[in-house]
Amino acid sequence: MTTITFPLSRIEGHAQVVIETRNGEINSAHFQAMELRGFEYLVQGTPAEQMPVIVPRICGVCSTAHHLAAVEALEDAYEVTIPPLAGKIRELMILGQLIQNQATSLFVFTLPDRMGLTSMFEEAASDSAEKVRGQITGRALQVRKAGTDLISLAGGQFIHPIKAVVGGVTSGIKPDEAASMRNQLEEILPLACELIDIYWEKSYQLRERIGTWGDDEPGYYIASIGGREDNFYSDQIMVMAPEGLICDSFPAREFHDHLDFEETDYSYAARTSYQGKMMRANSLARVNMGEESGLEHTDRYLIRFWDAFGKPAHAILLYDLARSIELVYAIERTIRILHEPLDNEDTDVPYSPRDGDGYGLVEAPRGPLIHHYHIENGLVTEAEFIIPTVHNVMAIEHALRVAAERYITPGKVDMELEKAVGRVVRAFDPCIACATH
Amino acid sequence: MKRFAVLQLSGCSGCEIALLNAEEWIDQFDLEYMTLVMSAYDVPEVEVLLVSGGVRTEYDLYKLRRAVRKADQVIAVGTCAISGGIANLGERAEVNDVFLTNAERLHLPDLLPSCRPIDIEVNVDLYLPGCPPTPELFMAVLHRSPEMKIARSVCQECGLKKAREMRPTHLLGFQQGEVLPDVCLINQGYLCIGSSTRGGCRAMCTLAGYPCVGCRGPSDAFIEKESQSWFDSIHRVFSHMTDIPDEELDSALRSPQLSLFLFQFADYAGEGQAPRYKEQMV
Repeated sequence: MTTITFPLSRIEGHAQVVIETRNGEINSAHFQAMELRGFEYLVQGTPAEQMPVIVPRICGVCSTAHHLAAVEALEDAYEVTIPPLAGKIRELMILGQLIQNQATSLFVFTLPDRMGLTSMFEEAASDSAEKVRGQITGRALQVRKAGTDLISLAGGQFIHPIKAVVGGVTSGIKPDEAASMRNQLEEILPLACELIDIYWEKSYQLRERIGTWGDDEPGYYIASIGGREDNFYSDQIMVMAPEGLICDSFPAREFHDHLDFEETDYSYAARTSYQGKMMRANSLARVNMGEESGLEHTDRYLIRFWDAFGKPAHAILLYDLARSIELVYAIERTIRILHEPLDNEDTDVPYSPRDGDGYGLVEAPRGPLIHHYHIENGLVTEAEFIIPTVHNVMAIEHALRVAAERYITPGKVDMELEKAVGRVVRAFDPCIACATH
Repeated sequence: MKRFAVLQLSGCSGCEIALLNAEEWIDQFDLEYMTLVMSAYDVPEVEVLLVSGGVRTEYDLYKLRRAVRKADQVIAVGTCAISGGIANLGERAEVNDVFLTNAERLHLPDLLPSCRPIDIEVNVDLYLPGCPPTPELFMAVLHRSPEMKIARSVCQECGLKKAREMRPTHLLGFQQGEVLPDVCLINQGYLCIGSSTRGGCRAMCTLAGYPCVGCRGPSDAFIEKESQSWFDSIHRVFSHMTDIPDEELDSALRSPQLSLFLFQFADYAGEGQAPRYKEQMV
């Protein structure tokens, strides 16, 4: 038996892929998360009200999602309903996170695979590639910076936000601040569209070269989205069956009845399944399950995507294209919200803490994120973090096996496999700090 | 151009994301290694090595020891590299034992008994505290420009108005929503420790209505002293500005959210460790 180990880069955190093969047959393809800090343990005994500042430290990439999931879990336990304006400000935080994340995944993590580079910061070998790189890197960072600036504006801090508090948010957004953020986003919208057009073109070229969009086995899809225009997140988790119909829908509180959750002995990340069957979360799930948004550029890309690949689409390299549509969506949606008054009403309601169980649900860039806290005497005695990347672990390993079968034959391993492994994993944009926490 | 590398141990990538936000370095420095954004197998020879994250696994330790040999200067970035960070909240025996038992896996790097600061294992030239440090601070540390003046304390940068007539008698929780926009948070009854926390962060939390939790660690006045002197100073500020009982303040200061940062330069390293000198702090 031969074991081939692939270290991974251009993803968040430390992971590797291990493929075991014998005579050209694939015995196993494992995705191993290699770090662990133990948040489920270390938060035990923490005063519940401190969770929204502690749990963003699970991950500096997805901190906004954890910040909001924590606040919502407490609000669920305390039975608090927040004022509409607070909901708007929180949506802006999520959108800022989405802009930053999708831009990073597209233009920093996965574009080098489409351009034959090791990173977007590397000098390219040829002048023409250098020109493209030069055009892209600076602008890509400008786009992702707009996301960070939006998180700072709505969330108060640029990596680990602090403005969401139980009952609402600490403050609204003043008209002049909203206007200047809007201007910034209006400037980067055409930039983002240009970058995305380059990205699509390079993706089609990659498809030509390798002859596949990757693993396209139909699977279940999971997301918690409402209507696409008015709310990125909802209080229900929805599951779509492989043929494209919504087959299940449930609140976070009931997730154990619908999803199977298991630890594995070869990875510090767990995995979930839909009653034992493979599911996919993240951008492709949302584009498969979503509707037209009523936003000009978003709908242009959505229709182009659905026309080309169908609905639902299954091939995993389409995750990256779906991610690009969401980048446009987040920019356009934010511009629209920033036209509304954001400091004209109360941003919070009073509340009384109480003991019990609270569940928070956020549609993070990588899919549905659930925080569950059990609170006794004001202290968290038990916590569960159900991480979006964990929903995708089975699908990642399935896609790795498909890639391995393509490039491993008796007596030969095609060196394209190393690149394929990178492309497969990055398509899912896994976050290892979150997945292990 | 100065060549630099970023080694990420067990952490959250927040420091790396903050560095990405400081776009200016792209034209001024050569990034040679940073697995978050590039495919590379090993740290090459560099002038500056930024290390983020704590030493949680044997593999972290191996990578750290290998990498520092290649660098002229080693900089510990963020709370996790400096103290082990948030993972240290699990240090209590009852939690840690269960955790380590449940964490056993086949074929994976073993976990060390605790998440260690990097300066227990290797020599550190400079410290860049913050959770995470701001992009400007990253630029300051890369340039190492002596003219870069960092504010003495968060309080100095914040500048919210003190209200002498407001003397709270009890602390408000961290999660109270209503915050008066222009009044010092201490006067409003929040446990803000910006008065003695190292500046340089633009006081973004307090100005957004959230009390400072001290992520930048103690200011120069306290960095070379025991953490008790920092505690005493916070007590003095509160007794000067409020009528909050000492015991109430003390137990709040020792709660996880604050102790995480308050003790980041304290005694994790064990006895006999030299203090971190203020000249080493950015």
